[in-house]
Amino acid sequence: MKCVKIDKKLFAGGIERLQTSYRLFGPVKDNNFHDFQALHVGETPDPTMLNTRLSPKSIVYPQSELMFEYSLDDSKKDSHILKEIVADNSPRVVIGIRPCDAKAFLLVQHNFDTLEYKDPYWVRAYEATTFVGLACNTPCSTCFCTTAGSGPFHEAGSDVLLVDTGDYYVAKIITPKGENLFKLAGWEEEAGSDNAAGEIENLKQAAEARITTRVNTDKLREKRTTDLFDASFWEEFAFSCINCGTCTYVCPTCWCFDIQDEVSKTAGVRMRNWDSCMYPLFTYHGSGHNPRDNKTKRLRQRFMHKLKYYVDKYEKGIQCVGCGRCIRFCPVNIDIRKLCEAMNNFEPAQKSI
Amino acid sequence: MLFKNLIEYMGLEPGRLHFSWISSAESTKFVEVVNEVTSAIKALGPRKSMVKTPLTDIKDKATEHVDIH
Amino acid sequence: MLTYIDKIRQIAEGFLKEGTVDMVIGFRRGTLPLMNEPCLIKRPEDVKKLVWDSNCGINLANYLTNRKEKIGIVAKGCDSRNIVNHIIENKIKREQLFIIGVPCKGMIDRHAIEALFPSEIEEVVEDESRIVVTGGGVEQIWSKAEVLQENCTICIHRNPVVYDELVADLVVEQKDVDRYEDIRRIEGISPEEKRDYFNDLLSSCIRCYACRNACPLCYCPTCFVDASRPQWVGKSQDPTDIETFHFLRAFHCAGRCTDCGACERACPMGIKVRVLTKKLEKDCLELFDWETGMDVEKRAPLRTYSPDDPDDMIR
Repeated sequence: MKCVKIDKKLFAGGIERLQTSYRLFGPVKDNNFHDFQALHVGETPDPTMLNTRLSPKSIVYPQSELMFEYSLDDSKKDSHILKEIVADNSPRVVIGIRPCDAKAFLLVQHNFDTLEYKDPYWVRAYEATTFVGLACNTPCSTCFCTTAGSGPFHEAGSDVLLVDTGDYYVAKIITPKGENLFKLAGWEEEAGSDNAAGEIENLKQAAEARITTRVNTDKLREKRTTDLFDASFWEEFAFSCINCGTCTYVCPTCWCFDIQDEVSKTAGVRMRNWDSCMYPLFTYHGSGHNPRDNKTKRLRQRFMHKLKYYVDKYEKGIQCVGCGRCIRFCPVNIDIRKLCEAMNNFEPAQKSI
Repeated sequence: MLFKNLIEYMGLEPGRLHFSWISSAESTKFVEVVNEVTSAIKALGPRKSMVKTPLTDIKDKATEHVDIH
Repeated sequence: MLTYIDKIRQIAEGFLKEGTVDMVIGFRRGTLPLMNEPCLIKRPEDVKKLVWDSNCGINLANYLTNRKEKIGIVAKGCDSRNIVNHIIENKIKREQLFIIGVPCKGMIDRHAIEALFPSEIEEVVEDESRIVVTGGGVEQIWSKAEVLQENCTICIHRNPVVYDELVADLVVEQKDVDRYEDIRRIEGISPEEKRDYFNDLLSSCIRCYACRNACPLCYCPTCFVDASRPQWVGKSQDPTDIETFHFLRAFHCAGRCTDCGACERACPMGIKVRVLTKKLEKDCLELFDWETGMDVEKRAPLRTYSPDDPDDMIR
């Protein structure tokens, strides 16, 4: 694998050159928190961030996205015909995405981009995006990526992985997309590969050692869905839940959406908005019946989906990358690590036959 | 009163929201109030905020750049 | 305030053992610094889970709505006022409740500390007057007064207004507090400046509804933003729809809000949503001489009519 060395003094210059070929997104600090924003000319990603408050999923999958437009004006020839709205899918690059968040796109891909079904909005945006990962030298106390199928130096999902070694970034070029981007940025000074590999390995081990919380997921697959579904612990975990959408909206792997029509006079659009399984409207049927009519059922759905249904359906592990955002931002401190542990350790009471 | 105060606190100009009690027998007062309201609103001109962006503008915005949240 | 823990446990244990209550609602230690989690205790042996410190900012009255059991509940000043409001609005009966009153000295603003501290917070230790925050090899000490939630610094009802037991002597209430300095400032600017201020304030809203759901007042079976037949508000990130939500959420709290700060504490985006509810709270005080949740016998201004009600706006 090719490794490139970037002198930090030359980093901003490269970013500047990329502006002509890509739309740039990177972590920027705003009101005490980092979030991904479009980088304007002269702006660079803020290197002091631990991770962003919101995940970068909205760059590929916006919270509100227009799908179709139509006219209800009968005098027009094309009235009542849905016409697709195609967003700007010119090349874009996300610089400074953490490995957990880059990996999250791969988990979401199992839903939006399959052999049978392709979500054109997501797929086009995803394919237009190059991900420049930034390895985590200082993971947070809420990170549990190493036991959630990812890691602070994980490469899956990134086209390039930058490692901050002090005065330099050492970049591992992972895909042709990444290689192309580096050419355009003019970052081409090859790092002595032995030296670089050793340096990266040391940083990686130090970072991994900082991650002290882990979750066990090994027994989730073998549990019976109905046993977990009927487990007694849901009530206790759900007590404090206020059923807000914070956990789902900050999550990099939550993908659910709701399709809405909005019409003003005769002009209409069909759009999709993020939805949340925490909301009462989420499974509210047209009949007026709601199979998840209380917060315990809704909380159970969120964690069963991430830690059981996804595990069973795709056989790619849990639908979680261990970024810890839901733990940090939950207003009432519901902790997915505790839930995962409870699910993984759950033994149903002996049933009489 | 609370409603009017709150909406003006959020930036609705005074003069845009009117309240009146008019009995069905008070036709003269009705005309007076309607005239007053319309002239007050005309003087203020069209409202720009607290009005939803026309759909066409939303579309232009969506195709121009990616919205972050 | 830390000495309260033993007393809370002792009272809760007594209630549960005697069968005075079926359950006790309080706080247990959270998994993160500056976070405690509301919890439900049903067995006397579990009362040791109950804690109390300056991280109990969630309003526990939120967990009482429509409950039928006999409940012991730990309540600081604002919780107790919301309990009163719940009783007035028939969301719970006074006879069902055994209120463990906690004279409060204010809750720590976790958003503020996270913003002030240069690294990730690993540990927070507090004593009566100060808190010590450590993380990333850095230690910083604040006096509690410096890092209280803004609503706590201007609180004039720290003591519970109703209770069956008290965990400590009542605290001295803060006097001569200017509660509405920020509201007056906004009232004084031009409509255009107000527009800019509120557009900016709400620009980061992600519509997670944490503010609404953390609030004990928001218990409608179907919230107006969730209604679909008819649909009152668009569901996208359109700024006008977001503003409509915040405007009406606040208005629905008129004459009911105790300024407990649960909404602001819950907001993951750090939006100061209290500037909306506080305006109404100020107007209720000035126009109707009304403070929420002070008396079970008194009816709220929007539920009563008096010939003296101010009506200057009606022509």
